[in-house]
Amino acid sequence: MLEVNGLTKYYGDLCAVNDVGFRIDEGEFVTLLGPSGCGKTTLLHMIAGLREPTEGEVTLRSENVTNLPPEERNIGMAFQSTALFPHMTVRENIAYGLRMHGYDEEERHARVQEFLELVDLPNHDDHRPGELSGGQQQRVSLARALAYEPDILLLDEPLTGLDRVLREEMRQWLMTLQRELGVTSLYVTHDQEDALSMSDKVVVLDDGEIQQVDHPQAIYEQPVNDFVAEFVGKSMQFSGPIRNDGPRPFVDAGDTCVVLPNDSVSSDREEVSLYVRPEDVNIEAAQATADGGATTVAATEENAFPGTIEKVSNLGNRAEVTATLESGETALASTNRFPHLEVGDEVLVTFDSESVIVL
Amino acid sequence: MSVVVERSPVPSWLSDRITNRHLVAIGVGWVTFFFVFPVLFLVVESINFGDGHPLQAYQRAMGGVYLAAFVRSFLYGIVTTLVTLALAYALAYYLVFSSKRVRLLLTLVVVPLWIAYIIRYFGVLLFFSPTGPLAQSFGIETDLLFTTTAVIIGLANAYLPFAVLPIYNSLNAIHHETINASRTLGAGQLRTIYSVVLPLSMPGVVAAGVIVFILSAGSFLGPDILGGSGQSMIANEIARAFLEAFNIQLASALAVIYTILLIGFIAIFNAVFDLQEALGNL
Amino acid sequence: MSAVGSLKQTGLLRRGVLLGTILLIYVFLLVPVAMVVLTSFTGRAFPAIPYDGISLQWYVALMTDSQLLGALFTSFVVATGAAIIAVIFGTIAAIGFVRAEFPYKQQLSTIMLLPMIISPVITGIALIRYFGQINVNAGYPTLIIGHSILGVPYVFLLVRSELVTFDNDLEKASRVLGADPTMTFTNVTAPIISPALLSGLFIAFIVSFGEFTATQFLIAPGTSTVPVEIYDMLRTGLTPEINALSTVLVVIMVLAAVLSRYLER
Repeated sequence: MLEVNGLTKYYGDLCAVNDVGFRIDEGEFVTLLGPSGCGKTTLLHMIAGLREPTEGEVTLRSENVTNLPPEERNIGMAFQSTALFPHMTVRENIAYGLRMHGYDEEERHARVQEFLELVDLPNHDDHRPGELSGGQQQRVSLARALAYEPDILLLDEPLTGLDRVLREEMRQWLMTLQRELGVTSLYVTHDQEDALSMSDKVVVLDDGEIQQVDHPQAIYEQPVNDFVAEFVGKSMQFSGPIRNDGPRPFVDAGDTCVVLPNDSVSSDREEVSLYVRPEDVNIEAAQATADGGATTVAATEENAFPGTIEKVSNLGNRAEVTATLESGETALASTNRFPHLEVGDEVLVTFDSESVIVL
Repeated sequence: MSVVVERSPVPSWLSDRITNRHLVAIGVGWVTFFFVFPVLFLVVESINFGDGHPLQAYQRAMGGVYLAAFVRSFLYGIVTTLVTLALAYALAYYLVFSSKRVRLLLTLVVVPLWIAYIIRYFGVLLFFSPTGPLAQSFGIETDLLFTTTAVIIGLANAYLPFAVLPIYNSLNAIHHETINASRTLGAGQLRTIYSVVLPLSMPGVVAAGVIVFILSAGSFLGPDILGGSGQSMIANEIARAFLEAFNIQLASALAVIYTILLIGFIAIFNAVFDLQEALGNL
Repeated sequence: MSAVGSLKQTGLLRRGVLLGTILLIYVFLLVPVAMVVLTSFTGRAFPAIPYDGISLQWYVALMTDSQLLGALFTSFVVATGAAIIAVIFGTIAAIGFVRAEFPYKQQLSTIMLLPMIISPVITGIALIRYFGQINVNAGYPTLIIGHSILGVPYVFLLVRSELVTFDNDLEKASRVLGADPTMTFTNVTAPIISPALLSGLFIAFIVSFGEFTATQFLIAPGTSTVPVEIYDMLRTGLTPEINALSTVLVVIMVLAAVLSRYLER
């Protein structure tokens, strides 16, 4: 449906987007994820035709549209600012795109009605955008972008600026809408939760370059580099040289040794980074020994480290526990049960060697 | 390649040829051609190309009645500014912190700005004139007409609204919590005004002061209608040299000197504060 | 008990003094103009408060004074022409300055404000001498161009502040929705910024309509404006006809201002 090849944009000597290429299939929901300033907005604008690429091409429905102005590309776009025309009513806003796409009066009327119902705002056609709430405005903006059946829907951080609860709700709603209409979508965001929860495919962008393109789960579980591992999701980190002089490969991270998955690289490398996701980390109270001190079971088991509780945050449906290991690293664990732990408790941090991500 | 237009406020048939920089050039060029050039042309006009010293007009402009007029412009400007700032601060303070009808009262401050200066000076004149309503109906004769006091009163009346707006805006920007904080920390009302409100509103006060000083020091109508020959300010001397003595060289020299002084003053001010922001309050 | 009472009293006293001061400031600000209007309705030969009944005789005198009617006409033509030119160039400059990026932008934009800062006496002399050099005739041409220069800073500041808050995404949205640049300008940009332009138009009109100081140098015989007429009449002595003419001027200017404020919303 959409194909981007070698897209590059220079602002003077500054390279904002460098040789970016990816494709989106019919009906797919793809997220472009990256920190602010990574070039994702520039990339989106080049796809929309709002900015001219320095090099590369954009293909839409197997047609090269690189040199077409935005109005000739048949795309829909939702903006972070909603960009609803303040001087027009909701109806006029939605009808604007239809009018520009040559729909006659009667069709326009019918479609405005249809799409207002689709976005659950059937009785708001005479309101001005300023009279609507943030969430409602964003829904009108989507109705406006979809009403003339664009080939692709571009979403530029439409949920940024909404509060947490509303954001969660809109995410669900947007996913349902997209699946229902089957419209091919490219969603741009810096929010990893948006990306992981909604997309079929995630394109991670940093510094103007693509870092990884994959399914959300793969992005989270098998990041290809340090940037992706650190930007997407939280994790516990170690680093050090790989050693193969034990029964299984392990990393000598200063005061600790971390045993690696069986299938991980066996060659000696100077320095690797290790990541363990909080879901894979287990933190439990250390059993007291007869003489009152904490146990040293750690020494006998692999990937088990003694530490002290630093923080316990109850997040409602789950809890996050932060502990400082004796070796100095910080451990982060996520649990569904309420951990009966308090700050200062002596604990034992464990994780399965198979869950260690080696980069 | 350049079919794609990066956002442009003008139609494509124009934007293909005209960029935003061209727009700047058109606007600035027009003001330059019909304002900056004319003012610069005064420099040429002020130089004597005939017999005698080329700068003879400047020699004359630096002495006698003209020097007195320069000094008077400066002094009247300062006094007017101080009087106006005091009144404007009291008014703005009341509007921000005590009034419940801010919109109406603020509009009443702005209304005089819509009315021609000449009518407002005329109104002040009615109070001082021996044939005005006060003298004729009530027999109140002030003996103020053609005095410095009358001129200062007139100038303060004319430029007071210009001072109220920036001070109002700066006071309005102070969070009420800041003031409450000062009070809960043990400062009295006056102490709070002195050590919290006044410093925070200083940018507005300075902006107001600069605007009022520029306008009042260059005023022509105020001293012309309310003052006598003893209250003649620099604008009056320039006009007299031009209209009565037909001495264009002298008038130009006076205008050049005054403009240089004014621009110097503004440059100094601009180095410390943002003049545009000050004017943007109007 | 008595301590509380005296505290309350000083509070009241303080409030009374404050209110009194504020009232006096408003009196100082507004009474002169009010007096001009009020005393225009006298039946006497000098501006007096009309205790003995309202008379419109000075307005009648005004209506029959062809010179004053001519001045009113001139003022209208000049103010309208000057306002239109000021809006055109003020808006062009404002759009350019908001959207272009170049070094010393802020400093350069100060040029647009200079006519507001330089004394109007100097503006008047400079313009009339310069117009003489470039062969522009005194009268309507000098008045309209000169007044438009005086109005430009106001339009520039107003439109610029409006454009700074203009959401550029609106134009992008319009393009993506299928409108070409021309349609985007007529359907989106123009409707949104036009209230500011109209407001600027009225302000430039007001600036021109009331201007005297620079105007006295720019007029030619037969193209005197209302403020110049008022000034000349003041020179020859107070008559209520000046008040009547001033009142007409006040009404027109306040009307224009009210319209401008209404449009700004």
